[in-house]
Amino acid sequence: MRLPSLNGQVSPLLPVALAPMALVAVFILVIVWVSFQSGTLGTVHSNYTLENYHDVLGDSAIYGVIWNTLWFAFSTVFFALIIGLPIAWLTERTTIPGKPAIYVIMTLGLLIPGIFVAMGWTFIAHPRIGFINRWLVDLFALDDGPVNIATPLGMGFVQGMNLAPLAFILTTQMFRAMNPMLEEAARTAGMSAAATLRRVTLPLAGPAILAAVIYIFIVGIATFDIPAVIGLGNRVYLFSTYLFTLTFPEDMEPRYGITGAVGVLMIVVALALTAWYGRVLQKGNRYQVITGKGYRPKMLDLGGWNWAAWAMIAVYALISKFVPIALVGFIAFAPYVAPPSLEMWEQLSLNNFYNVNWELVWRGMKHTLILMFVVPLAVMVCAFAISWLVVRTRSRGRYALEFGAFLPHTVPELLFAIGALLVALFVLKDYVPLYGTVWLIALVYLVTRLPFATRALNGALLQIHKELEEAAYVSGLTMLRASRRVLLPLLRPTLMSVWIWTALLVYREVTVAVFLATESNITLTAVVWSYWAAAGMTEASVVTTLMILFFSPLLLLFWIFGRRSALAEE
Amino acid sequence: MISIRKLEKIFDSARGPVRAVDGIDLEVAEGEFMVLLGPSGCGKTTTLRCVAGLERPDGGSIEIDGELVDSADGGTYVPPERRDIGMVFQSYAVWPHLNVFQNVVLPLTEGQRRIPRSEVRDRAREALRLVRLDGLEERPVTDLSGGQQQRVALARAVVTRPKVLLMDEPLSNLDARLRDQMRDELRRIAESVNVTSLYVTHDQAEALSLGDRVCVMNEGEILQLATPKEVYSEPPNLFVARFVGEMNFLPAKVVDAGRVESGLGAIECAVPSGCAPGAAVTLGIRPEHIGMAPGESAAGLRGQVLRQTYLGDALHCQVQVGEVELTVTAVGDAEYVRGETVTVSLPEKGWHVFPEGQ
Repeated sequence: MRLPSLNGQVSPLLPVALAPMALVAVFILVIVWVSFQSGTLGTVHSNYTLENYHDVLGDSAIYGVIWNTLWFAFSTVFFALIIGLPIAWLTERTTIPGKPAIYVIMTLGLLIPGIFVAMGWTFIAHPRIGFINRWLVDLFALDDGPVNIATPLGMGFVQGMNLAPLAFILTTQMFRAMNPMLEEAARTAGMSAAATLRRVTLPLAGPAILAAVIYIFIVGIATFDIPAVIGLGNRVYLFSTYLFTLTFPEDMEPRYGITGAVGVLMIVVALALTAWYGRVLQKGNRYQVITGKGYRPKMLDLGGWNWAAWAMIAVYALISKFVPIALVGFIAFAPYVAPPSLEMWEQLSLNNFYNVNWELVWRGMKHTLILMFVVPLAVMVCAFAISWLVVRTRSRGRYALEFGAFLPHTVPELLFAIGALLVALFVLKDYVPLYGTVWLIALVYLVTRLPFATRALNGALLQIHKELEEAAYVSGLTMLRASRRVLLPLLRPTLMSVWIWTALLVYREVTVAVFLATESNITLTAVVWSYWAAAGMTEASVVTTLMILFFSPLLLLFWIFGRRSALAEE
Repeated sequence: MISIRKLEKIFDSARGPVRAVDGIDLEVAEGEFMVLLGPSGCGKTTTLRCVAGLERPDGGSIEIDGELVDSADGGTYVPPERRDIGMVFQSYAVWPHLNVFQNVVLPLTEGQRRIPRSEVRDRAREALRLVRLDGLEERPVTDLSGGQQQRVALARAVVTRPKVLLMDEPLSNLDARLRDQMRDELRRIAESVNVTSLYVTHDQAEALSLGDRVCVMNEGEILQLATPKEVYSEPPNLFVARFVGEMNFLPAKVVDAGRVESGLGAIECAVPSGCAPGAAVTLGIRPEHIGMAPGESAAGLRGQVLRQTYLGDALHCQVQVGEVELTVTAVGDAEYVRGETVTVSLPEKGWHVFPEGQ
């Protein structure tokens, strides 16, 4: 097998493309390594052992965790699809008015961090402090609140609504790609509508829907923010939060070997699901080949049902985003956590703002800003190198590159965070002082944001005919000049949207930040988390409110520059 | 000017390595217009791209104007930007983010063969005048028609006054009428700047009308290298005969050096010296070399018109002669009806004889 190269020379892009792959490999391998270690890690006082696995599998707690995680992941998939799929169908196959507005709502849905919504839902439906329960208890003189969001099902409901936009985006592409002519052909061949649905439509849509299910399931089993915000305080553990308590126990020394062993279990599950996902995607892509070009799909006229469809979308937006976030905003000004009422309205004040440690917030802000600048830049450089090699060279090594860049798409970021933590603590500690620096977080973000950027650039590069570059070479331009004068100007729209999208996701990211944050590299989201975890709900609400205020202008930027291409790729 | 020796290029494919170019030799003289003709996948484009430096040969060598630019054994490889070439691509490859003038100017200002700033404007205008695009300098190229975009590409390719002009099916994306027009333009431009041209096409009409010489390729090898007239009139083998122009084929057996036996009976023709009596051969004759007249006569064989295709300037008739179906081009204002009896004459000079196994 030859290395990806142009004209037989190894491309200077290759090291840039391989660097993030090396990070992926190191982060995963270190978890495996640590899982077989006991004693003081990284010193001579450690030795290889199977003890960690023995302890993990011997502890009945893990089975409860697995049960909870499955419950959570399945309910996440259920709620995400039951909301996302119909909305996708409505936007792609019906005459529903205001389609751009639907895209706005769904894109915003992808960007609003789950942690904020989870805080809101705690205020709404927590068994003790949840407003619904307080009202119900008062109304019917109950002993306990009847609604409990702090269950795997409840949290799955919150995460499902949170991921509905993901289901929407994954399946809109399917509805768009599916050629209605295939269905019409079945009808003209004499098949009934029911037979067409059963024999043509569903088999064609199947792979795309199954792919969406698998992908959301993978995201589900690794979700940290929502189970952490809602579940940890109530001692409902999922895989992710269990890993968190193992890694950062409150009352004893952490046993990283145990963390590693649980991490390996999760890696195995993630890789197995990734393999399945890849196969399903391939099948789906094969179906896409048959779709013709330049067709105008016939839209179903909803007629009087338009308002009902929009009512459903509006209710979704209200319940999933607006109400929880509004409540967080309300609590930011409230003296304590209590349901909104006239009485509370009069007590609203800026008092909470004086209780917040502003020095900490500024520090978080500074780190978040550094990450928002550095990570997109690094992501684009690496993604460009990978995409160029994948799209423009013929070596079979390019498939390996493509796979490597795809892997972080399905391997949960949580695992990369743990891997990075272990690497910084036990591998690099004497050589490179990464632990506690913002660069450690940046490395993990680079890896996790790479798949989206690579796919966006792959698409863009495929659109730019290879001969445009070759015309520059034969015109006497060196590779560097050809890139600057021809390739980069043509890629600029994609690069802009990738940049902004990546920056937005870095801004809202919480899982990696929480696992890797210390006093010295805390980010804004980690500040929110640290207040929440320390029962500072009002302070957490204050910082969240500020984050959302900062967020708005960024969203506007995204809307102006990047939405089209980001929506098309994610 | 261009000298290609033992050129080899191998591509990896899913089904193992493919020899795209299999040891070809080709000399293109200064000022010559050489056309590489062949079906897709015959290696013609790969050969051209090797000359451009866009592919690196796996074997053999290439010289341009006496300078060694590729040598697989010697490890010599001159990248495309340092070769004295201009190239026109099938997709035009005009840079969509630049206007007409900027497209033509870029090689002069940013390329390896850049010229003093003060001369850039004049040189670019000259190139645009050459392709008759003067006056459109400020237009975005994306606003131009396909033919105009191809002219921009051509101006861009000749603006550096290269020794060698490479063209990769430059007319294949144009519609038929425009293609004929551009074909004449191309020839005029290549002559007026006196550039050595290497031109790739799968269209035999283009090849025959443009080339000083035509190089017919198949499966990475050269089958014939000759003037257009020779390629048409003396195809050395069945492949070239099939690929260039129309031809009727029928199996036959050699009787002696001047006669074969076929489905049309005994036929007088020149049998190549390698064919012993009794050997199986394939006979070929072009439709326009077959004579046809209404009615029955002793001047030839009796035939019956099966179908006809009217093309405006000619009439193609399918004629049943004995067991054989022949395509005949009728000239003039001849008119036939289906089923009409005709006399078909097959001149001895019109026959080509191809030994079996070719």
